[in-house]
Amino acid sequence: MVVRALSPRVHHEVGLAPREKFAPASPSDRGASGSTSAVAGLPQHGPEGGTMTVVSTASGLLAMLREQHPVLKLHALNNLNAFVDHFWPEVSTNISAIESLYEDETFDQRQLAALVASKVFYYLGELNDSLIYALGAGPLFDVTEESEYVQTLVAKCIDEYISLSVKASETIEESPPLDPRLLAIVEKMLDKCMADGKFQQAVGIALECRRLDKLEEAITKSENIPSLLAYTLRLSQTFVTKREFRHAVLRLLVRIYQSQPSPDYLSICQCLMFLDDPSTVATTLDDLIKGDKVDALSAYQVAFDLFENEYQLFLLNVRDRLPEVRASSSLDVAGSGAPAAVPVAMPAQPVTADADNGATADSGPTAMDTSDGEPSERTPLLAREPSPAPQVQPVHVVQPVRESPEPTAAAEDAAESSEMSTYAQRLTRLKGILSGETPINLTLQFLYSNNRSDLLILKTIKQTVELRNSVCHSATIYSNALMHAGTTVDTFLRDNLDWLSRATNWAKFSATAGLGVIHRGHLQQGRSLMAPYLPQNGTGGASPYSEGGALYALGLIHANHGEGIKQFLLESLKNTNNEVIQHGACLGLGLAALGTADEEIYEDVKNVLYTDSAVAGEAAGIAMGLLMVGTASEKAGEMLAYAHETQHEKIIRGLALGIALVVYGQEEEADTLIEQMTRDQDPILRYGGMYALALAYRGTANNSAIRRLLHFAVSDVSDDVRRTAVLALGFVLCSEPEQTPRIVSLLSESYNAHVRYGAAMAVGISCAGTASSEAISLLEPLTSDAVDFVRQGALIAMAMVLMQTTEARDPHVGAFRRQLEKIILDKHEDTMSKMGAILAQGILDAGGRNVTIMLQSRSGHDRMTAVVGMAVFSQFWYWYPLLYFISLSFAPTAFIGLNHELRMPRFDFISDIRPSVFGYPPSIAPPTTTSAVKFPTAVLSTSARAKARQKKDAAGKGHVLGGSSPGHADVGSSAEVSGDFNETTSSGKDGTAMEVEAGPEKKPAEANTEVLSNPARVVPAQEKYIKFREDSRYMPVKRSRPSGFVMLKDLEPSEPEELVSTDTPISAGAPGTAPSAAAAANAPPSGLGADDWDPPPPESFEYIP
Amino acid sequence: MEAKLAECTRIFQKFKAAYQQNDYDTCSNLLSQLKVKLTEFPALPPAYKQTSTAVQELILAREIFEHAIVLSVKTEDQDAFERHFLQLKPYYTDTRDLIPRSREEYPILGLNLLRLLVQNRIAEFHTELELLPPEAHENPCIKHAVELEQSFMEGAYNRVLSARQAVPHETYVYFMDLLAKTVRDEIAGCSEKAYDFLTVADAKKILMFSTDRELQEYAAEDHNDWDIRNGCVYFQKVKDLAPCKEIPSLQLINQTLGYARELERIV
Repeated sequence: MVVRALSPRVHHEVGLAPREKFAPASPSDRGASGSTSAVAGLPQHGPEGGTMTVVSTASGLLAMLREQHPVLKLHALNNLNAFVDHFWPEVSTNISAIESLYEDETFDQRQLAALVASKVFYYLGELNDSLIYALGAGPLFDVTEESEYVQTLVAKCIDEYISLSVKASETIEESPPLDPRLLAIVEKMLDKCMADGKFQQAVGIALECRRLDKLEEAITKSENIPSLLAYTLRLSQTFVTKREFRHAVLRLLVRIYQSQPSPDYLSICQCLMFLDDPSTVATTLDDLIKGDKVDALSAYQVAFDLFENEYQLFLLNVRDRLPEVRASSSLDVAGSGAPAAVPVAMPAQPVTADADNGATADSGPTAMDTSDGEPSERTPLLAREPSPAPQVQPVHVVQPVRESPEPTAAAEDAAESSEMSTYAQRLTRLKGILSGETPINLTLQFLYSNNRSDLLILKTIKQTVELRNSVCHSATIYSNALMHAGTTVDTFLRDNLDWLSRATNWAKFSATAGLGVIHRGHLQQGRSLMAPYLPQNGTGGASPYSEGGALYALGLIHANHGEGIKQFLLESLKNTNNEVIQHGACLGLGLAALGTADEEIYEDVKNVLYTDSAVAGEAAGIAMGLLMVGTASEKAGEMLAYAHETQHEKIIRGLALGIALVVYGQEEEADTLIEQMTRDQDPILRYGGMYALALAYRGTANNSAIRRLLHFAVSDVSDDVRRTAVLALGFVLCSEPEQTPRIVSLLSESYNAHVRYGAAMAVGISCAGTASSEAISLLEPLTSDAVDFVRQGALIAMAMVLMQTTEARDPHVGAFRRQLEKIILDKHEDTMSKMGAILAQGILDAGGRNVTIMLQSRSGHDRMTAVVGMAVFSQFWYWYPLLYFISLSFAPTAFIGLNHELRMPRFDFISDIRPSVFGYPPSIAPPTTTSAVKFPTAVLSTSARAKARQKKDAAGKGHVLGGSSPGHADVGSSAEVSGDFNETTSSGKDGTAMEVEAGPEKKPAEANTEVLSNPARVVPAQEKYIKFREDSRYMPVKRSRPSGFVMLKDLEPSEPEELVSTDTPISAGAPGTAPSAAAAANAPPSGLGADDWDPPPPESFEYIP
Repeated sequence: MEAKLAECTRIFQKFKAAYQQNDYDTCSNLLSQLKVKLTEFPALPPAYKQTSTAVQELILAREIFEHAIVLSVKTEDQDAFERHFLQLKPYYTDTRDLIPRSREEYPILGLNLLRLLVQNRIAEFHTELELLPPEAHENPCIKHAVELEQSFMEGAYNRVLSARQAVPHETYVYFMDLLAKTVRDEIAGCSEKAYDFLTVADAKKILMFSTDRELQEYAAEDHNDWDIRNGCVYFQKVKDLAPCKEIPSLQLINQTLGYARELERIV
């Protein structure tokens, strides 16, 4: 028996043929295949005639190939080319004949042979061979053909080209020149894409091939350049992993943007920020504010957008590169002298300044420390002087627009009469935004006036935790701080001073520092608020713990905007030898001077480090990292050297984290250092290496980083390192939250509790605020884990995921809140998980329920402060006071519309969805807590009628607070301020069902839309439902994104503007002060914009159950 | 098209005439011309265009290839035979509905079977056979080939050799001659396996040689490894029974340890 050997390639490849159109007849021997291959799907010829002649075999053609006469060979090849799609199994047995034809130099149709060979190899799944022959086929390989063969090969071709060009661009040495034929095909393809109008494809290919020339061509040739530019920008952020090339792309984008007739300055400046080019941004902004009103609005919008990325160093650089306001033109003295000051509403200046004395006097007692009227709002900013007030006054005396002490409108008119001063005003406003002053003030105001935190929750916690259990005691304090982060509402603390005083030593430190979280962003008053606790020169009266805490608090208040305070902090640091105070001062300095790479501060902090005190050294290590965030400075090596030198684990840990912070965002450039750290013998340094990976590759979803982290997560010997490695995944994947649960799902079932903890935190970090159902279902089992600290992590992570989620959106929230309550109330619960539950409560309702955790800004850039804050926060495992760093990652979910004066005009827009879906969660029911919490779900439907009646009553009585009627355990008593249909926020679908049941006597079912007024709470998930009215007087400058700070274009500039009057006590508290009273009455909110605005005393909002 | 057809027919007439005179060189030249001409006819396989002259074209082409096959037998060119046969085949299989059967079909198919037998390509032989309709097996030409194959398989080599006398067609003679050689090869192959050595006399008998010299020539030509000495033919058995492979124990141990380690790490 003889079995003719098939060509070995055929033998095993047939089954793998990539795109078989029909079940292939196994390639039988020539001559023998006969009708075996006469299967369905063969071309049927002569459709026009009656008879169908079916080609059953290609063996005849193959035989003809072996004829002597070239004409015959050609004929055979031509026919084979046509039939190869169906007869490739037969042809493949004779592929060598075709190959030899291709190699035969004398044969004049070699290209045709190559094409046939290419097709056969394609069907055999040998794409590499196929590509080689396709290249040999030259012009015969037609990229425009629509066949699968061509598409596959073109794709292969492009892949090949991409990998070659990427390799070429990454190796320094001269690489062999690319095959010009390959290049030709790719270019042909690109041209075809462009010719067909598929510009997005062309852009994608060009980006991947690193062909800037083609990229430019594709963009400029398209009809819709702006959208393509935006697309490219997004691609370059998400898909271009190589920094260098990304920068090249960005530079190109900037060039194209600028060449557009109406450049999109927002995008340009985003690009420039990625490129770290502050001077061009400054020039652009300067040009813009020299233009008309709309240009100025764009400039402000750009500035706000830049601000949102929270890149302090860059912002300051931009600001410093803007021209100085001329001395002649008004307020500049204030503007440049104390740059962070006066920004907001210059036009209002005459009024407010005149009123300054009064305003100063009455702005004092805003917050908890009832210090007298001494601190002017400027005090902290001029803090270098011990008694700043005197200096402030003269500044104000220089009044710019004297002619009218009239309200703003008049002043504005007058101002506009002189172009110069208009420019100066704009410039000052712009600087105000860039320095962070304006947005921080606006945010603070928003958070204050919309604070919806539920004191009852805290009260419940306070009552249930054991007094002697200091962990839970401090946890409650932490929780309170987070709940009121940035709202300046410290009622809870003031109501419970006795209870608070149980905090001793480090608990006292964190209690004091908590004030910093509550007053976060309260830049003007920050220092005066903390004054009672701050170290007094010479008099070592207060406890070092509260002094240290106060310094830390100052840092938190001024986090990332510490220009005014860092000098003070530095002096405090120099003046003390107490390690607790040093600890606080270091953390405070690190926060205030975040990422500024200030040499002077660095040296002083380093001196603290070299004292080799464990407590102070740890903070110093972190502070050095914070100072140098993202600079990749060679200081990292210095820190690493000291980490090897010292014996204190705490210091090593602080330094390890510090080093990780230094390489923030450096991606590949940090690899050497990361490698060095991850290979270290010391587990703490390896642990730092994990953080370095996390931060260097934050939000990039870089595959190699993920691979390395996963490797450490399963192979390191130290539990700490493994835990951190898993946790770090959360940072790397924070730009793609939907990926994280999938990647860590296996790890969350690990036998190792540390890995489980890490998995929970990773999900919490990357899915924060998304309420993603995968994340919830992953975390849910972990919240009842057998190990206490896993429960703690899972509870915290769950709270992060569910931030600002209502039950209407996800019913898990209700269950989770009940679970938290149960854990807190349970006497036998472990302290660890109790602490987790208490913190979870705080995170869930953070910032008066108006903030969410956002690690990426709305424009898709990573918010450095937020990521850094989150990273340091995750250190609370070792050091509880670091918990407060989470406040850095809070971002207010607000829509704040501003007019050209940076004030909030009255402006309504529509949220096109049931209000309950994104509303505030209802306040919990009063004292009989346990039963009350469970109550709603149990009786909802049955008590519907009674409830309806009650509701009506409640509505009748006006806004009766829920607490006033203890019997009403139902949720309906959530008499929100907006109290109309919001009441139905009970529990999602139940609520709706209930209403249907209740029938006609009920109010009509919940409205499908809601009218929101500027400024409004718009949670991220809600953004897509926001619609602007067409007939509105104001138009957003940038329509893409209805949240954050939005500049509004006034379509009827001649009409007098109606500004939003907020319920802040500023108007109430300011009356009778000064001549401005009248003005305030006329345009109450003017106070908002005014630089002397202060958060008002919180009392007016408080409610007593 | 008509003109081309006429032209082709004319050349074909010339070819036939030359063939009659056994002028094979002229035949080959003309055939080559004809084949080139045929590529210009669209009705031929694999295009099968429906043209007005399609039937004539097909019949003419078929006849040309049939003649080409016979010519290749005459010139004893097996490659050309195969080439032409493969090109002819579509006219028998694919065009059944278009043109009447050729008289020559079975003789040529039988000839092809015989060729496969001669070339000892038994698998293909059977494939071809399976493709034939049952009634074809009654045809003497096919039957002849089938019987030969059976005898061949049974080892009844004498019957194979004696069948030469009963060829159904004169062209078969060429292959029948070749068949003797195939049979001899087969026997030689079997002998190698079956015996360590044979006496020259026995070998001569088995391999159907009349003289020692013929045997020696045959051995020298096809079986270099045979050793003829002392009146015996020694078949050099290829001792390719490789010793049992040693178990790669170290490697296995390492692998197993590796798995154990990995299992430990699984989380």
